[in-house]
Amino acid sequence: MIQLNVKSKVLFGVIMINQMQKKVLILALHAGELMMKSGAEIYRVEDTITRICKACKIPYVEVFATPTGIFLSLDEGSVDSDMHTFIKRIKGSSIDLEKISQINHFSREFTSTDLSIDSGLAIIKDISNIKPYPLLVRILGAALVSSFFALIFQGAIKDFFCAFFAGACSYALSVFLDKLETNLFIRGFCCCAAATLIALGLFSTGLGSDLNSIIIGSIMIFLPGVALTNAVRDTLAGDMLSGASKGIEAVIIVVSIASGVGVAIKLWTLLGGVF
Amino acid sequence: MIWAFIYAFCSTVGFSILFHVPKKHIATAGFVGALGWLTYTYFIVSGSGSVLACFAGSCIVAIISDVFSRAFKDAATIFIIPGILPLVPGANMYYTMLAILEGNVTETASIGTETLLMAGSIAVALLVVASISKLLSLTGRKLLTYLK
Repeated sequence: MIQLNVKSKVLFGVIMINQMQKKVLILALHAGELMMKSGAEIYRVEDTITRICKACKIPYVEVFATPTGIFLSLDEGSVDSDMHTFIKRIKGSSIDLEKISQINHFSREFTSTDLSIDSGLAIIKDISNIKPYPLLVRILGAALVSSFFALIFQGAIKDFFCAFFAGACSYALSVFLDKLETNLFIRGFCCCAAATLIALGLFSTGLGSDLNSIIIGSIMIFLPGVALTNAVRDTLAGDMLSGASKGIEAVIIVVSIASGVGVAIKLWTLLGGVF
Repeated sequence: MIWAFIYAFCSTVGFSILFHVPKKHIATAGFVGALGWLTYTYFIVSGSGSVLACFAGSCIVAIISDVFSRAFKDAATIFIIPGILPLVPGANMYYTMLAILEGNVTETASIGTETLLMAGSIAVALLVVASISKLLSLTGRKLLTYLK
């Protein structure tokens, strides 16, 4: 009877530790997933996860992060403890710098003060619920980008308004296609083809004067600038796998944009439009 | 020059809205992007190649972002991502596409290579500045502890 009691106590103790470990695991994984989805670099994600785990006094932490998944192993360090490993598949990403900023603050606060794991989980949940700016504001932002780029590339005032319209329409289309969960290539292709067709239409009716500046302005929104630079940075930092996968993402987006523009122009000339 | 600054400022603000930069940092991010573009146009006007101009512009973006990230105690990425986007060679990509459509292989190869080099130079510039700033802050900290 006494023996049983001791046994159950030991068992209880092990379970308690495991629960603590599991919570740390979930916390670290969620933080890492959020950062990865919001467009952070690989080394920063790995660094944050390691710091959160070390702050919870877990001696053995090993992280392997790629843009499509995070692998995390934890060990209590004693002889008879089990090792915990989690795999988190990451699907889809949208750049959200507010989230990166908030998680940055959170990890600094979590490691420097003795914030409990439960309140940490609550904070992470709050951060993951942050919504982007309202749709109309985002469309206005996209229109700003394309219209001012049209001016940078020697467009006239007329082209400013044409690019404003084309940018707003193509961004609205991309939001709509996002809702339908179409893939990367189809989205880039459709949006750029639509932007080019709008530009060609405005140009042929005489509303726009410089076709190139309107098209360049409106495809600027969809360029994979972040994927491109992060790919090179990851590769040079030694994360070859992530670098390759981001690089392929960037290449696919570039090809989709170029083919969208190309197909739209070809179609326009085939249908007898002037260009 | 002043007009280039204003145009680049406005378009970087647009990118900041798309990427959900925190509200208090939107104007700062716009300033960073405009400064990077100004450097780029200055180098282009003074006659250097577009790859070098891109490199210089990205260096400026990275340095200013680093300074701001220390001043505001926030991640440098918030300023870097919208800041470099005006420098990404979108126009060159478009011209490469036009050359492909015209069947002009020589033109395609020459503009395409330049586009790739420009994109690479942005990434390398960010990396160089990040490494140097890390090195400086590490030696500075070591020096401080040594002096104490």
